[in-house]
Amino acid sequence: MQQTKQQNQLLEFVKTNATLIALVVLALALSFADPTFHTARNLSNLARQVTIVGIIAVGMTMVILIAGIDLSVGSVVGVAAVVVTLLMQYGLAVWIAVPVALVVVGGVIGLWNGFWIAHYRIPPFIITLGMLTIGRGVALTLSGGSSVPVADPSFAKIGGAYIPPMPTLVILAIAVAFNVYSLFKGFSDSKKLGGRGDVEKLATGVILAVIGLALAVYIFGSGDGLPIPVAIFVIIAGAAIFVLGHTKFGRRLYALGGNEEAARLSGINIFQTKMIVYLTASVLAALSGIILASRLNGASPNLGTMFELDAIAAVVIGGTSLSGGSGTIGGTIIGALIIGVLNNGMSLLGVSSFYQLIIKGLIITLAVWFDVLQKKK
Amino acid sequence: MSEVVLKMEGIVKEFPGVRALDNVNFEARSGELLALMGENGAGKSTLMKVLSGVWPYPTYEGDIFIRGEKKRFYSTREAEEAGVAIIYQELNLIPELTVAENIFLDRQPTNSLGAIDWRKLNSDTQNLLDELGIRDFKPTDQVKTITVGKQQMVEIAKALSKRASILVLDEPTSALTEKEVFDLFRIIRKLKQDGVCMCYISHKMEEIKQIADRVVVLRDGQTIGDVTPIADITLDQIISRMVGRDIKDMFPKSERKRGEKILEVKNIEVDNPVMPGEKKVKKASFSAYRGEILGISGLMGAGRTELVSAIFGAYPGATHGEVFVDGKKVDIRSPTDAIDHGIALLTEDRKALGLFLGQPVTFNTTISSLQTISTGLLGVINAARERALVEKYVTQLGIKTPNIDTIIGTLSGGNQQKVILGKWLNASPKIFFLDEPTRGIDIGAKVEIYKLLNRLADEGVAIIIISSELPEVLGMSDRILVMSEGAIVSEFTRDKATKEAIMEYATGARHTGG
Repeated sequence: MQQTKQQNQLLEFVKTNATLIALVVLALALSFADPTFHTARNLSNLARQVTIVGIIAVGMTMVILIAGIDLSVGSVVGVAAVVVTLLMQYGLAVWIAVPVALVVVGGVIGLWNGFWIAHYRIPPFIITLGMLTIGRGVALTLSGGSSVPVADPSFAKIGGAYIPPMPTLVILAIAVAFNVYSLFKGFSDSKKLGGRGDVEKLATGVILAVIGLALAVYIFGSGDGLPIPVAIFVIIAGAAIFVLGHTKFGRRLYALGGNEEAARLSGINIFQTKMIVYLTASVLAALSGIILASRLNGASPNLGTMFELDAIAAVVIGGTSLSGGSGTIGGTIIGALIIGVLNNGMSLLGVSSFYQLIIKGLIITLAVWFDVLQKKK
Repeated sequence: MSEVVLKMEGIVKEFPGVRALDNVNFEARSGELLALMGENGAGKSTLMKVLSGVWPYPTYEGDIFIRGEKKRFYSTREAEEAGVAIIYQELNLIPELTVAENIFLDRQPTNSLGAIDWRKLNSDTQNLLDELGIRDFKPTDQVKTITVGKQQMVEIAKALSKRASILVLDEPTSALTEKEVFDLFRIIRKLKQDGVCMCYISHKMEEIKQIADRVVVLRDGQTIGDVTPIADITLDQIISRMVGRDIKDMFPKSERKRGEKILEVKNIEVDNPVMPGEKKVKKASFSAYRGEILGISGLMGAGRTELVSAIFGAYPGATHGEVFVDGKKVDIRSPTDAIDHGIALLTEDRKALGLFLGQPVTFNTTISSLQTISTGLLGVINAARERALVEKYVTQLGIKTPNIDTIIGTLSGGNQQKVILGKWLNASPKIFFLDEPTRGIDIGAKVEIYKLLNRLADEGVAIIIISSELPEVLGMSDRILVMSEGAIVSEFTRDKATKEAIMEYATGARHTGG
């Protein structure tokens, strides 16, 4: 009897954390298949690669949460990369060019998308599909169809520099301490209100935090330290987790995605909420484009092609429902990591890039199938 | 005595944590209408789902006998083949298709090439409609163009076209006008003569008296008492079987003195979105007062919902007229504006317009007044404050839920409605519109809601109730407005209002001043 209860709990744990477990299994399998996979150097690179799509996927999660879609993010990456590099060619300093590109490219495209979708209620699929084409055309026009080089060496730091190991360790320690503190606070708050206090949830949280710390120390605590783009991604993801879970705005997104009409009649400003969401998605995509241009030390007008599909895949693998109303940033991060680990691992193992596409597609299909099975029960 | 066609014996159905059906026993005969009564959450719908194979064998315990033969349905299809058809509260028709296409969906007659034989399809449908004596619509009418009442008849025709001998009707009249109810009852009587056995789920006592032959009551998943001929039982006895106690006073009237005028609307008009130039509401003017319950009566489609929704700002761009709150003219362009002016609207369609079904009780309770639980520019939500607040409403409103994190979609209709009431109470409205607040809710919960509304009125809130149930309007309101065809045609004070007078105006039999 006791045993079956434990088995049930185990089953429940496996079900609710299925994508996380899939990620761990995948990573372990790759470590056995190719020992270079689990070197700190490779994992650090992997983390940096994941951030480009990861940042876009954070915005995409919000969009999909409100039952929307943004197909234009890949083009935004291209436009932002071209614009920021061109601005510097015209002699603007890095610290001016970057915010200007963010505001102009991310802001204008985001407001354009948002306005058509929120004001005229045109399906987001169509509007952002249009923007996908427009954006790519703009990137090609501005750059004249060729790549734009960057002269200023300080620009390369955005995507290429590191926070050295010592400060990294301090930052990591603070982050984990804060995480554990908020876990305990949540636990004691729920107890204070007469709740039982979920000891298992607390324990799982603390264990995961410690494992995360150990892993982060292993990857970033030695060698060059913490790559700047990874730090940016962590800050953005953390902010998004907070906003979705703990603010009025987050609540509105879940309400809007769950039942738009009920949300409107509950007094939620639908227009404003949609505008902010599409704006955020575009600005994040622009940021991702700038980081990418920095990494490459130059921009090509074709940068970001198909990124929208990788971002959507990360969101969907992470368990966010395409019909809106349910999903988390945490899930999306895991989704992005699964795609990243797959790409990295298959390249290490020398799998042909043609096969890689097929395998990625199958993984996406399996993930959604699993999600559907879950929801049925 | 006619043949027993359906017998359910010792039916038990469990969901995780709940025993929805707990030893249900009853039988129904051919050519009779058996009323299945019980509060919401008593297990009526679950029982009918067991019967129709939605919950297939062996997800339940107990036996089903049809004409004495033990049956085990592994799917709805098998139940259908055994002659069981169920017509749900929410109709399952495809609006874009015609009546005939809906009735013979996936069973359309075909010609030798395998293409649909339209002539035969339509003539078969016509025969079926003739048999039922339905003349109000044609087989070629698109379903979306006919009224809900007629759609219901399409559903019945569809069930009969499958040779159903046991027909389950789940609250068939909840969205019908009086005329449509009358037509439905005519068809039901015809079906009785034809020997069809009908199980009829309803909350409306007067209907049961009119149309039922026998009645069986469910409470907490158990059958209470035996199947009883309707002539041998009083309504009070049925009610006490349903709630396990006597309800002496359905409408706890309280004497109130009305306060100052808080809302005045002048010449409200609402455009008809489908027919340019037509108005859904025509030059409606009225006032509401603090501490008063104002009833709005009228038939379905009289424009009541449109009137209050328009005041609430739900149709920006399609609303004309002036609204004054506390004597000051206000410009309400969205529900957000309305809420800012202290106006709340509990909508008629709970599921489509009121609830976030996939979210917990907490989320649903606080969504309209997030400012009460959040602080700062970012609007950071204080989880502890939210939980305390929601716990307060759960206790105050007697919401029956395992806990406040329970997904609201799993609660019964009455408890869902109480959560929505809590949501609006938390927005502290001065003017509270309630559109059919007790539709599809059991009697116990109804009385609790009535008491709550009386208390709110005592506290000085202006309450405006739309209701299609005359006893409710008469029992609750201090003053009653009657609407007909988009216009307010009459006004009654409580002492002057009678059922007959209201119906005369609502049906257009009498006109203002006439």
